[in-house]
Amino acid sequence: MPRWLHSGRAIAGLVLALAVLLAALLAPIVAPHDPNEQDLLNTLLPAAWQAGGTRAHWLGTDALGRDVLSRLLYGARVAITVALLAASGAMLLGSVLAIIAGYFGGWLDWLIGRAVDVWMSFPPVVLSLILMTGLGVGERNVILAIVLVDWTRFCRVLRSEVIVVARRDYVTAARLVGFSHWRAITREVLPATIPLLVTLLTLEMGIAVVVEAILSFVGLGVSSNQIAWGQMIADGRDAIYQAPWNLLAPVLAIFITVAAFNMLGDGLRRTLDVRMIEGRA
Amino acid sequence: MSLLVARGLTVSATLGEARVPVLRALNLSVAPGRVLGLVGESGAGKSMIGRAIAHLLPPGFAITSGTLRFDGRDLLRMPAARRRSLLGRDIAFVPQEPLTALNPVLTIATQMDEHFSHLGVTSRMERRKRAMAALEAVHLPEAEALLRRYPHQLSGGMCQRVLIAMAFASRPRLVVADEPTTALDVTVQARIVELMRELQQRDATAVLFITHDLRLAAQVCDDIAVLYAGSIVEQGPARRVFGLPAHPYTRCLQLAIPSMKGPRRALYALPEQMPGLRAIARMEGCRFAPRCPIAQSECFTAEPPLHGTEHAAACFFTDWISAIELPDTPRPPAHARSEAPLLEVSGLSKHFASGGLLRRSQTVAVRKADFIIAPGEFLAVVGESGSGKTTLGRLLMGLERPTFGRIVLAGREVTRGAGAARRHRVRTAQMVFQDSQSALNPRRRVGAIVTQAMEASWQHAPRDVRMQRARELLAEMGLAQELASHTPAQLSGGQRQRVNIARALCVVPKLLVADEIVSGLDVSVQAQLLNLLQRLRAELDFAMLFISHDLAVVRHLCDRVLVMYRGEIVEQGPTEAVFSAPQHEYTKALLAAVPAEL
Repeated sequence: MPRWLHSGRAIAGLVLALAVLLAALLAPIVAPHDPNEQDLLNTLLPAAWQAGGTRAHWLGTDALGRDVLSRLLYGARVAITVALLAASGAMLLGSVLAIIAGYFGGWLDWLIGRAVDVWMSFPPVVLSLILMTGLGVGERNVILAIVLVDWTRFCRVLRSEVIVVARRDYVTAARLVGFSHWRAITREVLPATIPLLVTLLTLEMGIAVVVEAILSFVGLGVSSNQIAWGQMIADGRDAIYQAPWNLLAPVLAIFITVAAFNMLGDGLRRTLDVRMIEGRA
Repeated sequence: MSLLVARGLTVSATLGEARVPVLRALNLSVAPGRVLGLVGESGAGKSMIGRAIAHLLPPGFAITSGTLRFDGRDLLRMPAARRRSLLGRDIAFVPQEPLTALNPVLTIATQMDEHFSHLGVTSRMERRKRAMAALEAVHLPEAEALLRRYPHQLSGGMCQRVLIAMAFASRPRLVVADEPTTALDVTVQARIVELMRELQQRDATAVLFITHDLRLAAQVCDDIAVLYAGSIVEQGPARRVFGLPAHPYTRCLQLAIPSMKGPRRALYALPEQMPGLRAIARMEGCRFAPRCPIAQSECFTAEPPLHGTEHAAACFFTDWISAIELPDTPRPPAHARSEAPLLEVSGLSKHFASGGLLRRSQTVAVRKADFIIAPGEFLAVVGESGSGKTTLGRLLMGLERPTFGRIVLAGREVTRGAGAARRHRVRTAQMVFQDSQSALNPRRRVGAIVTQAMEASWQHAPRDVRMQRARELLAEMGLAQELASHTPAQLSGGQRQRVNIARALCVVPKLLVADEIVSGLDVSVQAQLLNLLQRLRAELDFAMLFISHDLAVVRHLCDRVLVMYRGEIVEQGPTEAVFSAPQHEYTKALLAAVPAEL
């Protein structure tokens, strides 16, 4: 059994994250209704267990009579897609720059370091809102906006790790036996940073879910024919007293997804981080 | 009347479920005015004694039986407050790492002031006066200015003097010095040792001097206790212990140390290494028997007691010690080849720029170095830290860009190391690093590490070819083949350094640059490596630039020597000639600082 599975936190996070992933994948099969099917005769139905609720709509319906449960399941698709792609994209961009800066040092390091400083001086939410206004709505642009805002997070943390590893004698030794820079980076430097990268990636997925929800909430997220949890919250606000689950369901979904990623990330950090392992020994 | 007496002192470590002894039934005594040297290789348990006295055993370690008395009072059972009042006042400590022992954010004045106020000096003026006096006692000039400085503004030697000043300031009756000079240069070491000796004689202090350096112990100590695997194997007056060892371990260590006098002799390399804690706990009979050259069958079943009165040894066959002979390894003939030089360095300089745009300053690390290395020649570079030896090695390997000068390697200029010049250098010259731990990627297996050079080209060598080469290299290094599938963390220090050498020899270079590759290793492991290098030299015929601070090792191994001082080569020539008739003042100082023979 790999070491990271010994952490209860990591397992709990993993199970929850897999559950959300499964919901997203199986949405077309398990969803009781078409998420966009309107039933204007049965709008704002309460949840099944509440007075006036019906088994046909477990979590009730929204203002247009659409099934909340189905929308929730379909919403997971956007959330998971954005989480995976945006986090990976941010990691890719951030770590490439971090490795260039940390491994080669000198003026490249200076340049990338200052770029990160400037970038991080913008408030991230404002920056992503500005980007979305410029790019226009759509799933792809949400991902792009998150990548462009959050690469700095990876860049800054990874750079310091790369600096430590790249100054080790074994990296110099690899260069001396004839390794090219590319080979020295991929064979000697990168493997040492993978625990950190995996941890950061998981945490970033949680952040991506929140950012996507914020953007969708203000109507600058995915296009209107796609279903996003943020949008559901925005829609559910007005009917909070008649059909509270319109609002509560997407809020809970976001909460669980983000908690899952954070627990997984924290568990991984505790089990994979060399410093924490050494501190315990 | 002895000041410090340990009787049956046993320290145990908890390893998993089991308790294993680290020190076993130790009997020791230090009399006032005497210096007792505790010597032994790493893992022998020498530092545990100092820690037991300070009541600072690491977590998981505990004193399980025996007594430790200081001036008749039981150190182990006295109330904590009593012990605290003794420690630092009557029992003082000199640490191993002077730079980390001082608080980096406080000035020397503040730290000394704290120390004296702990000693109970209430008047501020008085404390200041005492601090000045203490610094003068350790011959630190300009004490006034020194007090205003921070530890990082002082050299390692000065920091150690400050610490010694603090240790001796309370006129302690016992000083415990744990490897006090290991982190210092040879010339500094000599002065520190002399200083400790002077202060010790002034107050007739008892000193417990813990060291791995037998030559240093012979020079400093009145009495010696040799530790092996947690037990004292030999004990007695220093002159007699080193003059006529009564335990085979002491004799073997003595023969493992290269000598500064007389004809160059082979080194006795004890096989293997000291067993680990678990292995020791499982052993029966004499702990040294598996490595002992004169062990008999009974040595493996019964444990010899320490016998003898003044000079005691724990061995059944003390009379046979003189039978331990050096192996007859013929030295390779001196290299007097007239071929074209392998390496030609002319006017090589390296300047480091520091500071900002306005106040730019330059440090000259290497200044106008000129030398050659003949094919197959071993050339040593000696000098203290900061003399530029390491930079010189890095320049040769292309790890630093020279500011001026040129490097011609095997008939081709490689001063600017790019493209074809780099490929030429990779084929011709390789480097072995000092710190074998940092030089081996902890995520790779030994087999992959030693054949790393075969991975460098775009055409991958097939796996079985690589494994074949890995097995050859390991065999050449005298390592077991199974090690190929181990990770570096599973190896001992000596094994790691061999793997480190093996990697550099994978493509059989013509020149090996070795930066302090045997320093920090135990004497027996050092002897193994030195013998290995000599055998490899005969078999593979490579030249070596051997950077070292240990003159005896240099004398043993190298044909010629370069002496570096503040970035300049101040003297060079055949080793024998330079060491027997040094010309430059610095070379003379360096040679004078080497501890006398055993």
